[in-house]
Amino acid sequence: MNWEQDMAGESRELEQALKHFKASMDAWSDAAYSRPRTAAKLAVRHSWRMAASWALGCLLAAGSLAGAVHEIHHRQELARLAAQKTAQERAAAGRAVALHASAQVEKTVPAVTIAKVTVSTQDEDLLASVDSDVSREVPAAMEPLAQLMDDNGTQ
Amino acid sequence: MRRRGASTKVMAAGTAVEPITAETADEIAAQEFARIVESHRPQIFRFLLASLRDVDLAETLTQECFLKAHRNWKNFRGDSSAMTWLMRIAINLQKDYWRNRRIQFWRQTRTNAVDLDEASEWLPNGERSAEQQMLAREQVAQVWQAVKGLSERQRTVFLLRYVEERELSEIAAATGLSEGTVKAHLSRALGRVRAELRGKR
Repeated sequence: MNWEQDMAGESRELEQALKHFKASMDAWSDAAYSRPRTAAKLAVRHSWRMAASWALGCLLAAGSLAGAVHEIHHRQELARLAAQKTAQERAAAGRAVALHASAQVEKTVPAVTIAKVTVSTQDEDLLASVDSDVSREVPAAMEPLAQLMDDNGTQ
Repeated sequence: MRRRGASTKVMAAGTAVEPITAETADEIAAQEFARIVESHRPQIFRFLLASLRDVDLAETLTQECFLKAHRNWKNFRGDSSAMTWLMRIAINLQKDYWRNRRIQFWRQTRTNAVDLDEASEWLPNGERSAEQQMLAREQVAQVWQAVKGLSERQRTVFLLRYVEERELSEIAAATGLSEGTVKAHLSRALGRVRAELRGKR
């Protein structure tokens, strides 16, 4: 060994200890150097980890998607119910207005009828008076004809 | 090892041969590097394992060391031996590792370093009695204990000398220290080991 010159004057114990240390390191290094490499196992473990992380990622994505869909559906349902309620309220209000209006109409219809009857009576009277006036204001020269007309009409 | 430039002509037995093409030069360099890897990889791994006590980390840094070496192989001028050059890269890598670990100690840094007892378990299967085996194991544990107490530089110098069996000049070239400084570090490291052996007696 080339370092034995360092050991000149040193104790035998130190020399032995250093030799044993060197032999120990050689044995450990040889064993570690020639051991089967674990790269394949690591790769497998790595691929399992990758697969697990992918599965977890997909699960999370699917969960969040389902949550989002549920939330949208829930909101749509709420909006539909609100719209339905509003429509019902409007319908009720419309019915109330219609009822009120019909009541008002019922109140106003007889007056209109009376007015109409009154108007028609007045019209007949007016026509009768016009007729009589017209029939009376016949020129004197036409008086015999008028009498004839009256006679024919009465016949 | 002295390498020639890729564009030089190869002269064999006094006869001039065709100039080397760039592709051929690359191929030769690759083959040369493959030989270097094959012959020096176990030593680099052992040095890193002794420095870090972590098999996985030692393997990773060994890979990184040869990767760096491959990238800079064309710039290697052969001023020192390839082993010294590789050892220098390995020392810098482990220095960077310790520095990063110190900076990032508050982060989640995981280490697989084995404890000293486990490291001391390794002994060659020699024809020794159980008592001798136990004594040897105890001594190895004491040396590990002493190594643990050394500074980074002292530990590097100690391991290069007593595990890798490098010459003082090589250690000086690999660490960038003078031979005198290397000797001083070795002396202090040995003092620690001696004290540890005495203390446990």
